Amino acid sequence: MENAWIIPLFPLLSFLFLIFFGKRLKEASAYIGILLSLASFVYSLLVLFERFTSPTHKAESVWLTIGDVQLTAGFEVNQLNALMLVIVSLVSFLVHTYSKGYMHGDERFHVYYAYLGLFTFAMLGLVLSPNLLQTYIFWELVGLGSFLLIGFYFYKEEAKKAAKKAFIMTRIGDVGLLIGMILLFWQVGSFEYDEIFAAVEAGAVSSTMITLTAILIFIGAVGKSGQFPLHTWLPDAMEGPTPVSALIHAATMVAAGVYLVASLFPLFTASETALMTVAIIGAFTAIFAASIGLVQKDIKRVLAYSTVSQLGYMMLALGSAGYVAGVFHLMTHAFFKALLFLAAGSVIHAVHTQDIEKMGGLWKKLRVTGPLFLIGTLAISGVPLFSGFFSKDEILIAAWAHGNTVLFWLAVIAAFFTAFYMFRLFFMVFSGESRSDMKHVKESPSVMTVPMMVLAILAVVAGYVNTPWFGTFLGDWLTEGNPALGHGHIEGPSWIMIVATVVSLLGIFLAWLIYSKRSLSRDWLGASTLYTILYNKYYIDELYELTVLKVTKGLSLILRFIETFIVEGIVKGVSGAVSGLGHLGSRFQSGQIQRYGAVAFVGLAILIVVFAVTGGYLK
Amino acid sequence: MSSVPLSAYLALGLILFCIGLYGALTKRNIIIVLISIELMLNAANINLVAFSKFGVMPSITGQIFALFVMAVAAAEVAVGVAILIALYRNRNTVNIDEVNTLKH
Amino acid sequence: MTLSGEFFAFISLALVAVVGGVLLLNLTKVVHMVLALVFTFVSIAGIFILLSAEFLAAVQILIYSGAITIIMLFGIMLTRHDDTKEPKTGLLRKLLLFLGILGFAFAFYIGIYNLDFGEVSTTLHENNTEQIGIALYSKYIIPFELTSVLLLAALVGAIVLSKNDQEKEAKKE
Repeated sequence: MENAWIIPLFPLLSFLFLIFFGKRLKEASAYIGILLSLASFVYSLLVLFERFTSPTHKAESVWLTIGDVQLTAGFEVNQLNALMLVIVSLVSFLVHTYSKGYMHGDERFHVYYAYLGLFTFAMLGLVLSPNLLQTYIFWELVGLGSFLLIGFYFYKEEAKKAAKKAFIMTRIGDVGLLIGMILLFWQVGSFEYDEIFAAVEAGAVSSTMITLTAILIFIGAVGKSGQFPLHTWLPDAMEGPTPVSALIHAATMVAAGVYLVASLFPLFTASETALMTVAIIGAFTAIFAASIGLVQKDIKRVLAYSTVSQLGYMMLALGSAGYVAGVFHLMTHAFFKALLFLAAGSVIHAVHTQDIEKMGGLWKKLRVTGPLFLIGTLAISGVPLFSGFFSKDEILIAAWAHGNTVLFWLAVIAAFFTAFYMFRLFFMVFSGESRSDMKHVKESPSVMTVPMMVLAILAVVAGYVNTPWFGTFLGDWLTEGNPALGHGHIEGPSWIMIVATVVSLLGIFLAWLIYSKRSLSRDWLGASTLYTILYNKYYIDELYELTVLKVTKGLSLILRFIETFIVEGIVKGVSGAVSGLGHLGSRFQSGQIQRYGAVAFVGLAILIVVFAVTGGYLK
Repeated sequence: MSSVPLSAYLALGLILFCIGLYGALTKRNIIIVLISIELMLNAANINLVAFSKFGVMPSITGQIFALFVMAVAAAEVAVGVAILIALYRNRNTVNIDEVNTLKH
Repeated sequence: MTLSGEFFAFISLALVAVVGGVLLLNLTKVVHMVLALVFTFVSIAGIFILLSAEFLAAVQILIYSGAITIIMLFGIMLTRHDDTKEPKTGLLRKLLLFLGILGFAFAFYIGIYNLDFGEVSTTLHENNTEQIGIALYSKYIIPFELTSVLLLAALVGAIVLSKNDQEKEAKKE
């Protein structure tokens, strides 16, 4: 565990190596990426196992000394970090493997792997950071990796726009995080998590300041995790390659926001207002994104909105003091959402379209992908015995136990929506008859299906580490020795589990009626105004266009006016005067000796006249 | 006894000098510029000779000095005309405006 | 200042000299200008005689009116002169220079106006050439020899300057 700092260095090595030598290796660069990510996964696993038996390890050294302040850099392996390490390195390793098949034949294959390495390095560095400053550095690096990978197909206009949008939207959140961080440093005098928590516990920071900083940091998490109102970048980010969506925009980076809130959990619990904000935003995002997901036609967009919605769930869990529930769902979600994305990538790889209206009847053709997709769908829908069921149940219990009845029912409705749209997606893609020419559909190669199988197994069994039936092992372990994080397991009424089950089954049933059996017409939905609003994502993008963009553009027009006519006028005036003077001077430097002589003589004549008139010094 | 005072000779020298100066600084033809310079030297000679007769200590030295000036002027004209001819070969002009390589 | 022969001689000689100078400035043809200058040089020789420097007057006529003028004429003949084509000097510069020269002349005129050191009777006019010869070969022997070196250098320089290009042209051809 003392050498946990090595883990992020493997992908960094991969990045550096591929950036410099990738061009010669071509497709062979995949092996380097896979091998090095496997190494960091194995090492993470070792660290996790070691962490079961030994206490938190923290190593730091002084990085900068500014006056009395010492900034440190180092790494920390606590329960949350160890768990995150394994999740990130595992998903990264599987995506590395999967990409070998998916990206096959791409011209910039090695660049893709180099970016993957960079991103994995940043993400692993992020989860190992023991202080806010280091977290922030890796936080930005993660954003950079995401930007590069979304814009990987930069020759596509949409991809370029999406990359820019993702970068700018998350940046808005990052500013919040930065301000919160600075305020905390101002108040506490340290970036260290431990010292911040100690100061908060000791009451050294006023409650208003705690609320303010917590909310500001939460804004950073909102940006990164695609929570309302900064969620619009996440669906657009689907312009990147699908494995990237699985890695970054499902399992790891977007979970970084949740991770940040989780690792600063003691700060949030110290302020009821901050917790409430987190819970409300989370719940609202959950139902808001789920409702949009009901009607989207692009397979990746449905999954993207589902991601936004599930992240909302996690925020709701954290906001309801359900630390374990949030982290648990983060873990299970990482597995089944990565699975869903990879399966979707496999489908796209087979049919070369993302429009689900054009798919259908793929069950018989994709004998491997189909069942795997079904497992993922069942898991996310919260069907009993799958992982999503347990973690979602935990969240509902946490919300109920915290007394947020309204939020609880919102979450239940969101669960119903989730089940409905996920099965709508499943039935549209796999059941019925093919709705377009699908003759050349081939199953993906095993290099793509094997990672999916691994994820599918995890999507089923990952839930059993923390169940009300077989023991709450994960929860106990996570909260061990840290009472600030709350109880390992929150007891809730058993009817909640039944409600959750019924709701998800109801959603599945409804989807089956409409999209598979077709006993209910789809048209009544399609014609309504509600449908249009949902299909256009509540016009959020258009709203931003109208308000933020227009105002900004107007402001920039005014500023540009000032720039061109006032600032530049002054600058041009000054420079013009100087260069005019220079021109005047250079006109004397004509190279004509006669002119030089004339000038010299006139100067002499003036001196002599002055001397003759005044009489010089002597008079 | 001389009936013409020193200042009259000096004034003549001054006038000739000014004419030579004006010509040297305004004329475009290099030959005229050279001639104007000769005129200025001559004006100086008038002063020298006038002082050799009407100065504080009249002596022959002023005339000797004027003699030296003439020798230098002759040498100057010889070199000047040689330069002029060389220039004319290279540039095909005697216009002083076009002699501006000093600028570069 | 009394009306004497000397005075008339001075006035007429000075007038010719100044008129020659003014003609130098105002004539258009270069040959005419040089001729106008010959008048000036000759009248300056006359002024030298008035100043009891007979030898200098002779040298003035020999060197200036003779040698220098001839060299100038050679220079003129060896080059092309289309005076009409030549652009005129800028009016502004002419005006400025004129004002400058006027100021210069004014300042010096203040200096020399009524300058009089009182007249001391001299023997300059007696055996003028002999006096100059004695002084040159005794007191001023070193400057005299240096002048000969200068003249030699000028001679060599003039030949080199005008010959150098001929060789180059010969090579080109």
